[in-house]
Amino acid sequence: MSVRLSDEPISDEHELSQFRSGLEGEGAIVTFAGVARSRTPGGEAVDRLVLDHHPRLTSRSLDDIAAAARERFDIAALRIVHRRGAVAPGETIVFVAASATHRRAAFEAVDYMMDRLKTDAVFWKREDGPEGSTWIEPREDDLAARARWSEAPCPE
Amino acid sequence: MSRVTGGRRIVRIGFFGRLREALGDEREVPDERGETVARLRVRLAALHPGAARDLLSPGVRACVADAIVGEDFPVAGQERVEFLPPLSGG
Repeated sequence: MSVRLSDEPISDEHELSQFRSGLEGEGAIVTFAGVARSRTPGGEAVDRLVLDHHPRLTSRSLDDIAAAARERFDIAALRIVHRRGAVAPGETIVFVAASATHRRAAFEAVDYMMDRLKTDAVFWKREDGPEGSTWIEPREDDLAARARWSEAPCPE
Repeated sequence: MSRVTGGRRIVRIGFFGRLREALGDEREVPDERGETVARLRVRLAALHPGAARDLLSPGVRACVADAIVGEDFPVAGQERVEFLPPLSGG
C-alpha cells in the first residue's frame, strides 16, 4: 500500500512502472489519473489549480481511504499519489492504481477510492484564471457518487 | 496549552482554504476564560468582518489537536484552534 503527497508533477508512466515492479503475479491492474482541466465547467480559462492542504489531516485522509479500499475489496496492492500546491492544466492531480487476481476487484477498488477522494480527501481547491480566483465548493454529483458506497449493513 | 505572551495567554487560530486566503495562515487572539468554539467564532467575526460569513458558517468546522470539535467545545487554554472550510476533495 503506497500513499504519497507530491509537490512535483506526477508522471503517470513512472508511477505505473513503479507499481508494476512491486506486483507478485496478479492478473489485473487498473489505474486512473485525474487531470487538471484548462477550463472551468462554465468555459472560463484556468491558469492553475491550487490545492491547499492540512499538514497532518490530509495525509491521514488518504491513508484512511487506502485502508478502507484494502479492507473492502480483494485487491493485492494499491497506490495513491496526490498533488498539493499549484497544478498546471494538463498535469495529473491524482494517480490511483490497484492490482488484483481478477479485474472486477481492481476496477471497483479504484472507482471506490476516487469517489472517496473526491469528497473525503482533506483538500481545498482554488481555480486561478484571467477572470480571478474561485474556491471550489463540494459538488452534489461527487457527494452522490460517494453515497453509492454503503459503509455498514442496515440495522435489522 | 495556550502560551503566555506579554503577560497574556494567547490562543493561535489556524485557517485553511478560503479562510487562509482571507486571514493568513494563523492569527493570535487573547485566551478568554470559559470561551467555546461558538463564542470564539463570534469574536473572530467581529475582528474580521470581511470573513465573518465564513467564520460563522456551520459548514466551516472547528478542529483542535487534529479532531473536529463541536460548537460547545471549550477552546480556553487550547494551544491552537483551526477552522476548516468545506472540503473540495481531491
